[in-house]
Amino acid sequence: MAEPSAAGQTFDQEALPHLDALYRVALRLTGDTSQAEDLVQDTMLKAYRSWQQYRPGTNAKGWLLTILRNTFINDYRRRKHEPIAMDLETIEPYALDRSIQEVDPEGSFFAQIVDARVLEAIDALPDEFREVLVLSDVEGMRYAEIAETLGIPVGTVKSRLFRARRQLQADLYSHAVEMGYIQPRETPT
Amino acid sequence: MSGVDCAKAMAHLDDYLRQELTQELMVEVRRHLEHCRPCFKHARFEENFLIMLETRAARETCPEKLRARILALLRAEARDR
Repeated sequence: MAEPSAAGQTFDQEALPHLDALYRVALRLTGDTSQAEDLVQDTMLKAYRSWQQYRPGTNAKGWLLTILRNTFINDYRRRKHEPIAMDLETIEPYALDRSIQEVDPEGSFFAQIVDARVLEAIDALPDEFREVLVLSDVEGMRYAEIAETLGIPVGTVKSRLFRARRQLQADLYSHAVEMGYIQPRETPT
Repeated sequence: MSGVDCAKAMAHLDDYLRQELTQELMVEVRRHLEHCRPCFKHARFEENFLIMLETRAARETCPEKLRARILALLRAEARDR
């Protein structure tokens, strides 16, 4: 951007490189390309207008994602297929986890699943799980950064992340069985 | 000997793979994985899962049209100040 002011220059250097990440997170939050585009645009305008509140050299990506998430919560419709409400803390992840690992102990089936199906499985997670998983395991943010971005304790980030991963693994495992990437072990009855 | 047994290593596994443990615990968990085959396999499983997420779900990029639209809006915004 040919922006002469110093503020414009630092914004270009610090904020613009994160457009791809902002777009990906927007896609996962809204579940819709046109809403994701609007959300990224709104986020960048808000960020530009409040750029003086950003402390140079701190975590620009986290700062931008905080704006994006707040904008999403305040101004955007939740996705149409709101996941069934469930008690997030009581999901029991262990049983399936073990049976998966008996059949394919090193998880080589993960490499066979196509990108679109991976994204579909992420999109099917409950909102609270999906956002921590995307920020952590897709965008590579640290637990502490995620806690700050979402306004929740680090312990909550970790427990949601743990359950999100197990739920995603179970979903992708069923898919891999369906597609014949792996043969489930016959369980004696 | 390492102070980390199987149960402790597995409890720390997610944090180990994301390098979110103290330096001391990182070393102890790594040492356990080097000596325990079942735990090592479990770690490979989780690692392959995380690699899949990192590589397969982070490929989408901001569309050029959107990037151009945002740059134009920011320029207009800068002019109006």
